[in-house]
Amino acid sequence: MPLRRRCEIHLLLRMKSLTSLCLAVVAMAAGCLLAGCSKSETAAGNAPAKPRVALVMKSLANEFFGTMTAGAKAHQAAHAADYELIANGIKNETDLSEQVALVDQMVAMQVSAIVIAPADSKALVPALKRARQAGIVVINIDNRLDAAAMQEAGLQVPFVGPDNRAGALAVGRVVTARLQKGDAVAIIEGIPTADNGRQRRLGFEEAIKEAGLNLVSVQSGQWEMEKANTVAGSLLNAHPNLKAIFCANDNMALGAVAAIKAAGREGQVLVAGFDNIKAMGPLLASGAVLATADQHGDQLAVFGIEAALEALRLQQTGSDRSTPVDVVAR
Amino acid sequence: MNTLRRSADFLFLALLLGVLIAFFSGMSDHFWSMQTVNTVANRIPPLALAAMGMTFVLIAGGIDLSIGSVAALAGAVFGWLVVDRGVSVPVATLAALGAGALCGSANGALVNWMRMPSFIVTLGLLEGARGLAYLATDSQTKYLGERLGALQATVPGLGLSVAFLLAVAGVLVAHFVITRMVFGRHVIAVGTNEEAARLVGLSPGKVRMTVFVLSGLVAAAAGLCQVSRLGAADPNAGAGLELSAIAAAVIGGTSLMGGRGSMLATFVGVLIIATLEAGLAHLGASEPVKRVVTGAVIVCAVAAEAARSRWMARWLNRSGN
Repeated sequence: MPLRRRCEIHLLLRMKSLTSLCLAVVAMAAGCLLAGCSKSETAAGNAPAKPRVALVMKSLANEFFGTMTAGAKAHQAAHAADYELIANGIKNETDLSEQVALVDQMVAMQVSAIVIAPADSKALVPALKRARQAGIVVINIDNRLDAAAMQEAGLQVPFVGPDNRAGALAVGRVVTARLQKGDAVAIIEGIPTADNGRQRRLGFEEAIKEAGLNLVSVQSGQWEMEKANTVAGSLLNAHPNLKAIFCANDNMALGAVAAIKAAGREGQVLVAGFDNIKAMGPLLASGAVLATADQHGDQLAVFGIEAALEALRLQQTGSDRSTPVDVVAR
Repeated sequence: MNTLRRSADFLFLALLLGVLIAFFSGMSDHFWSMQTVNTVANRIPPLALAAMGMTFVLIAGGIDLSIGSVAALAGAVFGWLVVDRGVSVPVATLAALGAGALCGSANGALVNWMRMPSFIVTLGLLEGARGLAYLATDSQTKYLGERLGALQATVPGLGLSVAFLLAVAGVLVAHFVITRMVFGRHVIAVGTNEEAARLVGLSPGKVRMTVFVLSGLVAAAAGLCQVSRLGAADPNAGAGLELSAIAAAVIGGTSLMGGRGSMLATFVGVLIIATLEAGLAHLGASEPVKRVVTGAVIVCAVAAEAARSRWMARWLNRSGN
């Protein structure tokens, strides 16, 4: 079997080269890691008194949180003398355990403050309680922690963030102003367990009630374009006289717009969004989306960081602050 | 007798689909309409394609968990090239499909050369390809508008999209390949008993490689269909697509042990899942209810199918066939 033997040798050689490639990659990765570590160590060594602020985000894959983090990094670069920033995020919006682990890691690193966008308004409470007990300043941004859960845990964390309900109400009014009393409308909400999603739904509902519209359905699009597209497609079929769809974020509004187009009902069904992501530009210009809310995503984490620095300076826990939300319409 | 058995499998699935449609039509005023048919038909191409690729891999005795991420990567590559690099749509389409095929060949190569189980290899790519998709789009949704709109153009009078027709054509071709072509027999042989296949002179490595490349390629096509329908490339797209594809294949009677499966039955599985999704949204069911019902239907479909085929085998034996 000379042929088979040769094949085997060939395979072996191949495996060897693959293995060495793997080794090289691992070595390079390790090198980068080490370089990164030593750099931050020297930075800490130069200015020992500089507070270290940990930013714990939700999914960095989500454009909105990416923008928030970028804003925070820009702010830190401009105030490099004032504080050090450690930005972290989780890979999946619903991966709670990963975020809890991140908080615990930050506690172990003995950071001065944690600014967190909780993936869940209740599940993060125990981890943040541990952080407070370790003497770390905690500031809550983006998604508000549950008041009852905090009270039960004896935890006090100030919330620095936009009034989602007021924002949704304002966006909702832009749409309802174009409708008649009794018109059928629907809401596509986010993940029902997240407080910001609930607040936006409440804001939309308030606008709908004010205008005397007929809310025919509220369904979850799980914050995602594809899910919202499916839900919107079915809503359009189930309610031939549907006049507007209020979406709790812009990704879902994109999905709804695609469904309206597929149903050939462009111009007949109004869409509202929330967040003002970049992809909204052309849709707002064409009128496919009537209005969205800009909560100044790039500044949201910065507001939280500033509150944390102030709390550190004054040695207090800090207090709630609401940040601006603007309606963006054509 | 085999034909009898196979058509009985198929009829049973069609019956199940019929029951679902009848149920939703009874419960919701507007479900029974051409519009619903069009909405469902035009949103299934990604799942239909992905499930087709998955069925190939499953029949060959492997599994491909990376298809959702590969679909997202293909969309991301397309969005990045078109929006940020100003590349023309046809070139970007080819690049996206190429990325899918490349992912598939990476899967195939690792399974063949390193002798790793496909579950692990493709699990690795599930993470890796998703990461690359985020890198390609800078984690931002890329707005594309009408640039890939051709796939969504509807055939006049039918209301069915080009993407749907392409997906159906793909399924029919795949069915032909599995049932009538030599390559299809090889896939089945490798999935049934790899050692036996090797002993009769087949090359299981080659068959596996082809099947994985095919799976990557159709996953990329699925991603492009999704991009075209939504008019935007979302790096989060296709999350969980692999599980829906496996569910569709399993409802269609494909064996997770390899060697057995039908493209047409998988397609009916896709229709069942899509009908369920649309119907529950029609009724305005809440998210938890949707999930519970969907899970229950998948399990019941497979259980009922297993019970039926056991019963039928006994009946055939008794009647002396």
